[in-house]
Amino acid sequence: MDVSILLFYGLATIIVFFALAVVISDNPIYSALYLAITMVTLAFVYFLLKAFFIAGVQLIVYAGAVMVLFVMVMMMFDLKKEKNSFSKGKFANFIKVGSAGWLCGLIFASIMLSKGMLPLANTNTPQAVADTSTKELAILLYTDYIFAFELLGLLLLLIAVGAVAVSRIKGGTHE
Amino acid sequence: MNSLNMLGDFFLSPVGINHYLGLSAILFCIGMVGVLRRRNVLVILMSIELMLNAVNLSFVTFSHFTQNINGQIMVFFVMTIAAAEAGVGLAIAVTIFKRFKEVNIEFFEQLKG
Repeated sequence: MDVSILLFYGLATIIVFFALAVVISDNPIYSALYLAITMVTLAFVYFLLKAFFIAGVQLIVYAGAVMVLFVMVMMMFDLKKEKNSFSKGKFANFIKVGSAGWLCGLIFASIMLSKGMLPLANTNTPQAVADTSTKELAILLYTDYIFAFELLGLLLLLIAVGAVAVSRIKGGTHE
Repeated sequence: MNSLNMLGDFFLSPVGINHYLGLSAILFCIGMVGVLRRRNVLVILMSIELMLNAVNLSFVTFSHFTQNINGQIMVFFVMTIAAAEAGVGLAIAVTIFKRFKEVNIEFFEQLKG
């Protein structure tokens, strides 16, 4: 038994367990906590995959900023334990969970059947690690993807203005 | 019997691309169940974040196992757009809460302008 196998299965178990807890938990605040744990554990999986910059960004942006956003908004609401937190209808729920399970099975089957189709590189050489370093990522981001990067900045500006504008709406309805 | 052999191969072989992709698939389907079944807007948004994380995991996996760093750039973009989407979604949730004192998804059909 290799250490990496144990490490991967340990992290995978934690991720799947807490992801299920996000979906099952009745209290949205507990859901947010479980989601934060899932994100932090995913960052460790990115470390296993040697994507160090992505792992750091995952910790700062997802486990930090996005979760703080969720929890801050939750503080503004008067959230108690919900009575109708799940949608009703036994048959509809069976269809929903069944379709998700069906999709999962389809993806698994396609992963298994496409084994060996993709030419995989040797990932253990020092050269391989250097090729996917943070420096290479930065060079690529500011040369080939510079327009996409600038557009992303524009999008964030639009979102900042748009979120303020949406939350200032008085709350008109059709009634 | 053939599929059983495949399962045995899966759990006994050293951790490779298939394992990470399988984890990504499971995570995506859990998020999908959350989006379909929950009624609370906040939990639906969290489930969407779970699904986006699953996609990010598969991007990083392919990036690592084919030594192609373009996948990590895509993860960068997905993360930014996920943060933006959470911001707008939560702003709409605040609007709904101001009017109905609850954040159930069924009130969204009453929104106007």
